[in-house]
Amino acid sequence: MNTKNKNMKSIAALDSIIASLVCILGGLLVGTVVLLLLSIVYPSIPASEAIRGIQIVLAGPLSSGNVRSILFNLGDMLLETTPLMMTGLSVAIAFKTGLFNIGAPGQYLMGAMSSLLIALSFPKPNNAGSALLIWLLAFLSGAVLGALWGAIPGLLKAVFNINEVIVCIMTNWIAANIVSWVFYSTGDRFINTAEVKTQFIRKTFTNNIETAKFGLDKVFPGSNIDISIFITIIIAIIIYIILEKTTFGYELKACGYNRNASKYAGMSEKRNIVYSMAIAGALAGIGSSLWFLNGQNEFLWNTYLSLPSEGFNGIPCALLASNNPIGVIFTSIFLRWIERGGFNLSGFTDYNEYVSALIIAVIIYFSGFSKYIKDKLSKSRTEKIIKEGNE
Amino acid sequence: MSEYAIEMLNITKEFPGIRANDNITLRLRKGEILALLGENGAGKSTLMSILFGLYQADSGKILVNGKEVHIKDPNDANKYGIGMDHQHFKLVEVFTVLENIILGCETTKFGFLQLKEAREKVVALSKKYGLYVDPDALVEDITVGMQQRTEILRMLYKNNDILIFDEPTAVLTPQEIDELMKIMKELAKDGKSILFISHKLNEIMKVADRCTILRKGKYIDTVDIKDVDPEKLSELMVGRKINLVSNKKPAEPKETVLEVKDLVVKDKIHGINAVNHASLKVRAGEIVCIAGIDGNGQHEFINAVTGLMPIESGHVILNGEDISHKSIRYKNTHGMSHIPEDRHKHGLVLDYSLEQNMVLQRYFEDEFQTVGFIKDNDVRGYANRLIEQYDVRSGQGPITISRTMSGGNQQKAIIARELDRKHNLLIAVQPTRGLDVGAIEYIHNQIIKSRDSGAGVLLVSFELEEVMNLSDRILVMHNGEIVGEFDPKKTDIQELGLYMAGAKRQNMGETKESAV
Repeated sequence: MNTKNKNMKSIAALDSIIASLVCILGGLLVGTVVLLLLSIVYPSIPASEAIRGIQIVLAGPLSSGNVRSILFNLGDMLLETTPLMMTGLSVAIAFKTGLFNIGAPGQYLMGAMSSLLIALSFPKPNNAGSALLIWLLAFLSGAVLGALWGAIPGLLKAVFNINEVIVCIMTNWIAANIVSWVFYSTGDRFINTAEVKTQFIRKTFTNNIETAKFGLDKVFPGSNIDISIFITIIIAIIIYIILEKTTFGYELKACGYNRNASKYAGMSEKRNIVYSMAIAGALAGIGSSLWFLNGQNEFLWNTYLSLPSEGFNGIPCALLASNNPIGVIFTSIFLRWIERGGFNLSGFTDYNEYVSALIIAVIIYFSGFSKYIKDKLSKSRTEKIIKEGNE
Repeated sequence: MSEYAIEMLNITKEFPGIRANDNITLRLRKGEILALLGENGAGKSTLMSILFGLYQADSGKILVNGKEVHIKDPNDANKYGIGMDHQHFKLVEVFTVLENIILGCETTKFGFLQLKEAREKVVALSKKYGLYVDPDALVEDITVGMQQRTEILRMLYKNNDILIFDEPTAVLTPQEIDELMKIMKELAKDGKSILFISHKLNEIMKVADRCTILRKGKYIDTVDIKDVDPEKLSELMVGRKINLVSNKKPAEPKETVLEVKDLVVKDKIHGINAVNHASLKVRAGEIVCIAGIDGNGQHEFINAVTGLMPIESGHVILNGEDISHKSIRYKNTHGMSHIPEDRHKHGLVLDYSLEQNMVLQRYFEDEFQTVGFIKDNDVRGYANRLIEQYDVRSGQGPITISRTMSGGNQQKAIIARELDRKHNLLIAVQPTRGLDVGAIEYIHNQIIKSRDSGAGVLLVSFELEEVMNLSDRILVMHNGEIVGEFDPKKTDIQELGLYMAGAKRQNMGETKESAV
């Protein structure tokens, strides 16, 4: 019995992994076809370039040329993974509770705003201890405001049964406008007048508030990498433990799978909806906190016309991982990996940056099929188990 | 022309690790009613799925009207005039009854639905066969009974010649069952050939001409109904003699565990009183049964008592404490166990494993968690004990995903969970719906055992046989009111039927006093 038990669990996990790989492969195949078609349309691009192109995409940062630029690209890729992994987790945990958190962009913006406001409000601290304290405060405020922003659609869903997708879309734009307004009205207080790009905020490092690097910038010379990638991986593992090992996670998932049964069992499904959305919001908020507390990343504060793509990219990231928090670690790295490949594609071949964006989009698009493929895989298996069970 | 409408010859279907159908032959004559009898897992569903094109047989052939056919999917089956009334309704919840009936064969003009003609036809059919439905009600709002009638109407609407009824009577009242039996006979007289899947022996005796029996995937026998009696049939089906009537000691009622006073519950859709000033008492050591036709307020009554629906007015008193407005968790932990009517909707989280479902109301207790972390080993151990004690069978034991278990074993799991929890009130709604004789016998015995160990039992059942068999006291519910109270030894199904239909009622003010 015991070996059989283990088999079944590992088979289910295997299904998810196979499904993700099939999706990735499908995306790459279609991407190759697109590149081939383009080489037919533009006689200046030879067909062999298509194969080289997809190889470059697949190799990600490794296709960057010499060792120095490979390391630099790897470092930056890991840094860029941070916010994506967090929004991916944000979407995944909401999905586990049966909710579609399309509000990650708004939660992300609110997190960015509050952590930047706090980090920039303090004068240059005179020792490392107070710098760390301010950093922590900024980091936590990002999580808290993100959580509050996520809790709004959760509350409306729980109390009035208003579809969370609609509320999330509204809160996204409300957040975008609030953020624009706040930074606009604070004038040049936070905006370095020496900056050429007037609508961006950067250089939190002017007051030494930035995420620790622990020598990672020596390992990946030239890149802006800091320890945030480890923080996010630890958070992903914590989320996994919460979902799989605790009574709280048990309740959240029960509500996601069957709201009626969890009500019958005496769980407060309304409270769980709010919790789940608040946690999702906190995760998205943490994602932007970490990104902007890096000190080198620019924040487009004048954002009322556009939402940050990190928020939306969390959706394919979660889907590709079958909403498994540990899976999100890998899928977010993968998505950033091929994105780097995309940059290199336009750098090293005749294809322009629009083509590389298209190839990335195709691969992301294909990630939506992972659930379909997983269901297909497990269906035949389920039928078999049903028959065995009836024995 | 062939004498047979359908011949399934030497059908074998193997799933990895199990031969679901092993060389089964089934012949349905034209214009006859052939019953297909077998326990859960005997291979009935697989055989019918093959006939309906949901599975392909590994070997063997299917003949329709003497001609060999290959049925690749349900559309093919429809083409050959085969219609199926599914046990688990295949209805679109957010569509109306009418829309569901015409689904798949909609009449359109310039791409617009012609609902008017369809409505006339459906109303005519429903009148002709006494299958009452509200064509404009959404399926998600109607009772299980009406959903069943919708399924039957859909089959009739499509003019199918070969009708498969997969356990159609599971949720009907005695009168409705009689009515359905009449319909089936008429249909057969009209020349339609009927395959009647059931494990209710008396229905088979009443309506079928012949009966084919399967056991554990194998063909056992085909008998003429006039040559056999129910005992013989059940023996053929189970392979051993079975006790159809429960032997229980007389009840020894003690203190009142549940008292419902003047309960009013509003209907969610229509705003009328679904439960209208109903009162009852359940004492420790007795089984009180609410009998009645589906849709007369039983759901709302139970949901209000258990906390799934809000109470408009009145009181629910459990062990002397007013729990009318207490949380479900409070009721669960203060002596109330509840076997819900719909095991898929309320009873189980189907995507959870069996062990996770076993602790659905107890995962937060110290036995199963420390500082918020679930103690996996203790949950596993507890689940294993229940699985063994209540003989819950599944493919992978405690880690089996509940969705993959058979209906009977899902129900057994719920019963194990509810009976093992500390309780002195057991509420059971339709606890044997859709189960086979072996499982019914088992569940009845478990309920009686719970009573004998000192719990009060409140049972809701639409099957009068079950009511007569199991209860110590019968209350009839009609139109949201308790209209009569009976001693099962001093009444009969006919009398109950009159009260259930609303033709008679007692003055409950007096009987209520005498019952105490």
